Amino acid sequence: MDIGTTITFFVLAIASTASAIGVIAFKNAVNSALSMILTLVFLAMFYLQLNAMFIAIVQILIYAGAIMVLFLFVVTMLAPDQGDVGNRDPMVWQRGVATTLGIILVGALSYLIYTTFTISQQTKATGANSLSQVATKQGDIQAFGQALFHGFVFPFEVTSLLIVIAILGALIFGRRA
Amino acid sequence: MINQSLWVLLLPLIGFVILGILGRVMSRAAIRTVAWGACGLAFLFAVWNFFSMLGTPAGAGRVNDAMIYHWVISGSLQIDLGLLLDPLSATMLLVVTGVGLLIHIYAAGYMEDDPSFWRFFAYMNFFIFAMVLLVAADNFLFLLVGWGLVGLASFLLIGFWYQRRSAVAAAQKAFVINVIGDLGLMLAIFLLFNVFGKIDYTSVLGNPGLLSFGSGTATAIALLLFVACAAKSAQLPLYMWLPDAMEGPTPVSALIHAATMVTAGVYLVARTHVLFELAPIALNVVAGIGGATALFAATIALFQLDIKRVLAYSTISQLGYMFMAEGVHNYSAGIFHLVTHAFFKALLFLGAGAVIHALGGEQDMRKMGGLWSRMRITAWTFLAATFAISGIIPFAGFWSKDEILGSVLAQATATGNIWYYVLWGVGLLTAGLTAFYMFRLFFGIFTGSYRGGAVVAHTEEEEENGDEEAAGHGHHGPVGYYYIQEVPPVMSVPLIILGILSVIGGFLGSLALFNVPLARWAPLPNFLTPIFSDVKTAHEVSLGLDWTSTGASLVIALIGIGIAWSLYRKGFAYKENKNPLYQLVLHKYYVDELCNAVIITPILALGRFLNWGIEGGALDNGSKGIGSLLRGTSSVLRRLQTGYMRNYALAILLGVVLIVIYYAVRG
Amino acid sequence: MPLSAYLIMSAILFTIGTIGVLVRRNPLIIFMSIELMLNAVNLSFVAFSHFLDSADGQMFVFIVLTVAAAEVVVGLAIIVSIFRTRRNIDVDEMNVLRG
Repeated sequence: MDIGTTITFFVLAIASTASAIGVIAFKNAVNSALSMILTLVFLAMFYLQLNAMFIAIVQILIYAGAIMVLFLFVVTMLAPDQGDVGNRDPMVWQRGVATTLGIILVGALSYLIYTTFTISQQTKATGANSLSQVATKQGDIQAFGQALFHGFVFPFEVTSLLIVIAILGALIFGRRA
Repeated sequence: MINQSLWVLLLPLIGFVILGILGRVMSRAAIRTVAWGACGLAFLFAVWNFFSMLGTPAGAGRVNDAMIYHWVISGSLQIDLGLLLDPLSATMLLVVTGVGLLIHIYAAGYMEDDPSFWRFFAYMNFFIFAMVLLVAADNFLFLLVGWGLVGLASFLLIGFWYQRRSAVAAAQKAFVINVIGDLGLMLAIFLLFNVFGKIDYTSVLGNPGLLSFGSGTATAIALLLFVACAAKSAQLPLYMWLPDAMEGPTPVSALIHAATMVTAGVYLVARTHVLFELAPIALNVVAGIGGATALFAATIALFQLDIKRVLAYSTISQLGYMFMAEGVHNYSAGIFHLVTHAFFKALLFLGAGAVIHALGGEQDMRKMGGLWSRMRITAWTFLAATFAISGIIPFAGFWSKDEILGSVLAQATATGNIWYYVLWGVGLLTAGLTAFYMFRLFFGIFTGSYRGGAVVAHTEEEEENGDEEAAGHGHHGPVGYYYIQEVPPVMSVPLIILGILSVIGGFLGSLALFNVPLARWAPLPNFLTPIFSDVKTAHEVSLGLDWTSTGASLVIALIGIGIAWSLYRKGFAYKENKNPLYQLVLHKYYVDELCNAVIITPILALGRFLNWGIEGGALDNGSKGIGSLLRGTSSVLRRLQTGYMRNYALAILLGVVLIVIYYAVRG
Repeated sequence: MPLSAYLIMSAILFTIGTIGVLVRRNPLIIFMSIELMLNAVNLSFVAFSHFLDSADGQMFVFIVLTVAAAEVVVGLAIIVSIFRTRRNIDVDEMNVLRG
């Protein structure tokens, strides 16, 4: 791996970590949301680095563009400047415990990933399944579309059904009582 | 020879069942019919038995063992319910059912005011059934059953007036002491089974060779049997229940505690004499305790004031005589005294009952007197019985007591053992004391002037309210001297019959005293001889010795009567006596108080301690502890349900971390 | 970069999201933390897809994205309706199921 990829990776890593911490740290919910958008954009850049063009674009379009906008709507509707609503935290100890557990989790996972993890050559997809080959022949989007409609049609249709249900749910909740 | 013992056994049982179930709704006349009928028919069957036995020549032909029912069949062990008819059991059956019948008749009059009339007769019939079972059984198991059932009947009848606390306490005392005897009997039966492998009389008593003479086993068996006898027949040290048993109605005292139940011990020794012959130590114990009890009880009776108590102690004393006789190998003398004692003691009790009945429940001798002219029949029959018990010729008691003392003296001269002479002396002294206190009793009740005053008898309301004293007995209305009258015929006829028996009953015994052609006349001993024929050491009493003993006992009895005559002829004047020795004897040597302090109080204290420690401490706190432990745990665990979503999420995270760590560690 | 780098990155983001869920009391921010967790997982899927040279990972991301969207819609609707009834959206105030 060349030095450019490495530097990009580390820069993106630090940036996305910082903005993720910003998401959970800001008192003001709007600041939190904006920080979230930033994190999502950095993640899209990660995807680009991993040659997942379609996903990167979709991430920005849908996640950052639609979902976070929705979040911002609701945040602004529900008294955003209150921050963490109310001032008294009934369980101050939870912060310490959660942080400790989080650090333990990260540590354990990292240890696991570092020490036990290898990918053997046999698990790599080959031939017609090989994404990179299809991508070089026909382009990324084509490769993605081909995989989607040749193997994942059913989940695709089910997700559209899921979306219908979500819309219905939103309608029901949204009605005035 | 026909064995009708089954009918003798079953008829009272049927009577008990009928009275028990239907008695509540039956009329007085019907109850009387059932009760008298059951006992009377049983008596007739016993008489039939007796006559059919007389018709058979003496010897083995007079033994009939009728098997009724296979009770236990278990492998090689087989126990049958069988009824043995031989001279000894025939005699006992006659006494039990005959005297029992007379007392049933009497009791119909005595208990006529009682609201629980039916219950009384149900229990009486049950007692007759149990006693017949005890006497007629042909194996030790049913002897034990009968033994226990008569104890039960005694308990029920002593505590008949159960509203009275004292009666209930007396019943419990009798039962507890009886159980000690039951234990002795059971242990003896276990030992017998261990040695003989079977427990019917033929196998055990007919086969004494399996026990060696004087061995420890034989002595143990005999002593354990004697423990049972001591409990049932109120000998030292298990006699305490009998005086208290006087709480029961007087017919009960007459039947159970004079004539029949208490004689079960004497019967048992006679029946198992084979075993006692094998254990000379045990026989000496029997004789010794018999003599000691006789003297001990006689001394207490000297100063008692309750007429029934006097008679109770006299019963204990006379039972001591019976055991003395059996202790010197003369079993038929013991049985003979049993028979005559049944006559005159029952008569004494019934007579006392008549007096109590006429006086509206009064039992204290200090409040009696001068009844000779008011109650002629009672007085004459009581006098006859008093002469009988004092051993004056020709009344019944003379013959039997004389035979006992004669055998003791014979044994003394034959073995030369000083203790037998002492025993003879004790017997003689007791005879004198007996004469004295019995005549004191007689004079106290019947002569002099009436000391009772207008006794206010119990009113109707007192009886309904369960007043302690009112749950007793008697007429209603004030009892002044001129209201006292003789008892009705239903009560006085049995008195007369028993009176006649007390006079002539002695002629059942031996007239060998007089060198007359009739000297061969000895119906009862001859009747019983086949049973006791194996008693090798029964001594023929030589004539000279016999006269010595008889003369001595007559003389001392007359001295006793003379002293009583001089002191009490004009009536019984009670003087408070502060002499400590007198007080000691008056309070029955404080034996009851001693038992209470030494035995009862520690056991009760132990029970209280265990209750506090184990019941209260371990068990209660244990179960409470489990409860509070659960409650504590749940109140701690409840804190997990905080209601905060964030806590639940934390718990989930904790689980996830643990899983990841597990994989990390596993490598 | 080796695969494990991306996976560790994903782990870090996931943990940050978890801590956010546990520490914050504003439900909207909790929701955003959950979205962050989902995104971390998306990252690891895409990384696998790249390194295994297969489209399956990206398919999964596609589906997750859609599901996340639907979930956000419904979740926000619920939060809004809670706000309408209680005028208060502190999750610690929602402790009716307290034992």
